[in-house]
Amino acid sequence: MMNAIRWWWGLLLAFSLLAASWAFLPLPFVNEVVIFSIYTMGCSFLLGRVGFISFGQPAYLAAGAYGTAFYLFYFGTDPYVGILIGILSGLAVSGIVGPLFVRLRSDYFALVNLALAVIFYYLMQKVLADITKGDNGLWFLTRMSSTPVLDISTPSHFFVFAFLVALAVWAFYKYLDDSIFGACCLATKINEDKLEFLGYSNYSVRLLAFIIANTTTALAGAMYAVYLGFVSPEITSPHRAPDPVVVTILGGTGTLYGPLVGAFAYTGMKDVISKLIGNWELFIGFLLVFIMLAGEKGIWGTLQPRLEKLFSGRKVGTVAGDGAEARR
Amino acid sequence: MPPDSGVMANTGEILAVRGLNVSYGASKVLFDVGLSVTPRQIVACVGRNGAGKSTLLKSIAGFLKPDSGAISSGPTRLVGLKSYEIARMGIKYIPQDKKVFSDLTVRENLELGSYASKDYNWDRITDYFPRLKQLMDRKGGYLSGGERQMLMIGRALLGSPKVLLVDEPAEGLAPSIVAHLKDVFGELSKNTALVLVEQNLPLVCAIASKVYALKEGRIVAELADRESIKPDVCERYL
Repeated sequence: MMNAIRWWWGLLLAFSLLAASWAFLPLPFVNEVVIFSIYTMGCSFLLGRVGFISFGQPAYLAAGAYGTAFYLFYFGTDPYVGILIGILSGLAVSGIVGPLFVRLRSDYFALVNLALAVIFYYLMQKVLADITKGDNGLWFLTRMSSTPVLDISTPSHFFVFAFLVALAVWAFYKYLDDSIFGACCLATKINEDKLEFLGYSNYSVRLLAFIIANTTTALAGAMYAVYLGFVSPEITSPHRAPDPVVVTILGGTGTLYGPLVGAFAYTGMKDVISKLIGNWELFIGFLLVFIMLAGEKGIWGTLQPRLEKLFSGRKVGTVAGDGAEARR
Repeated sequence: MPPDSGVMANTGEILAVRGLNVSYGASKVLFDVGLSVTPRQIVACVGRNGAGKSTLLKSIAGFLKPDSGAISSGPTRLVGLKSYEIARMGIKYIPQDKKVFSDLTVRENLELGSYASKDYNWDRITDYFPRLKQLMDRKGGYLSGGERQMLMIGRALLGSPKVLLVDEPAEGLAPSIVAHLKDVFGELSKNTALVLVEQNLPLVCAIASKVYALKEGRIVAELADRESIKPDVCERYL
């Protein structure tokens, strides 16, 4: 019970900060942070819980974005339906490639996903240019109809919607982390053979995790599409492939708050530093090297034990309760 | 009869291995190994390091694909089954390295076992290993070797397995814990067959009703009567 109260407090605090940031920060910035945090949650789950590093997340992002875009450009006008179709597109793509990809481990898994992003990029840019409009992209901002209650075709309402979706996604991953399935994911990362001793199929655990994570990524893609009202092949550009991995590591791999913190820090640094120096990626590169050398914990991974100590007034990391606190 | 036929000569066997040959690449490790286990029997495999004892258990558990030979449990052939399928049949392997899921608590480790076997009754486990009750919230990585062994055996007991394959259970443990394990194995054998791979001959001889001596990948002796199951007799074959 106490644990539940503690993490709900953390959740409220995190999203209160986000809501407060809305009041003080530009709306495009906070919208981007929220969508980016959803984008990163799937990647963080794959990397932190299952041990899969993927440099192909733009492919799944594009699956969601183009699913939404095709609907809104060619067939309908309701952005909610567009997002639903984007999610289903991501589910379909990860359901098709997942059974093949999850048989691979580590470096091969990372590369085969990168290859998928490259394939998607050229499919959208060249091969399917007749329907994707190539580099010009699909524009449908003015085609989207207004929706009752939350009109997500407007940026301010979109922020509230994105906020609620991020909250739901976060709660879903919190639930997963605390479930038997979450334990199985961690177990397959730690020692795949030992999971099989217990009667679990590593393949099934990995496949389900892969589909869940990449459908989350597709959700982010669908939200990008609705928010921007435009989708081009740039969304699946291979040179942006490391972004979610970078944000995951920056925020704290496998932590639940990491994607939010990482997305905030990354987008913030990009905005601030790009005004000062042209090559802002250079700074991010140095920062990542520093984070790796400082213990690979990322921003939230470093702050978390200190905050817990501050709020609980006790030394964290001792024996009792370690398991319950391990993945907050 | 084809060499990998699963037909058992003795239908009372809960686990039978016939003519098993196993290689690691070009290096052959097991040569025509045969083994027979009946319900509620404790069978031990003894041998020096490198004799092929662990390879035998891993082959039974489905982690190694034999070159030839048959492994069966009742009418079911195990060769070709996935390791998790064999575990779900109630043939559980407890590896030698005593590594539990270090980032999971004892409770979570047991929950994993419970969910897989649909057995949520931990009373038997805590009866055998009362110490685990006090360690429920401790992460696996913080357990001692003996505590890990208790957890691994306890976790494997979920679902009431018909055969436990235990690889070097006493290795590196304090004598008091080994004595406790000996009692536990004796109790367990009232419901479950055990196949122990062990170098601790006094332990083996105290509890096993059949001993196979392995040397350089071959069974060199099968001792099946209490008179011959003695450390000095076993030693002769190693």
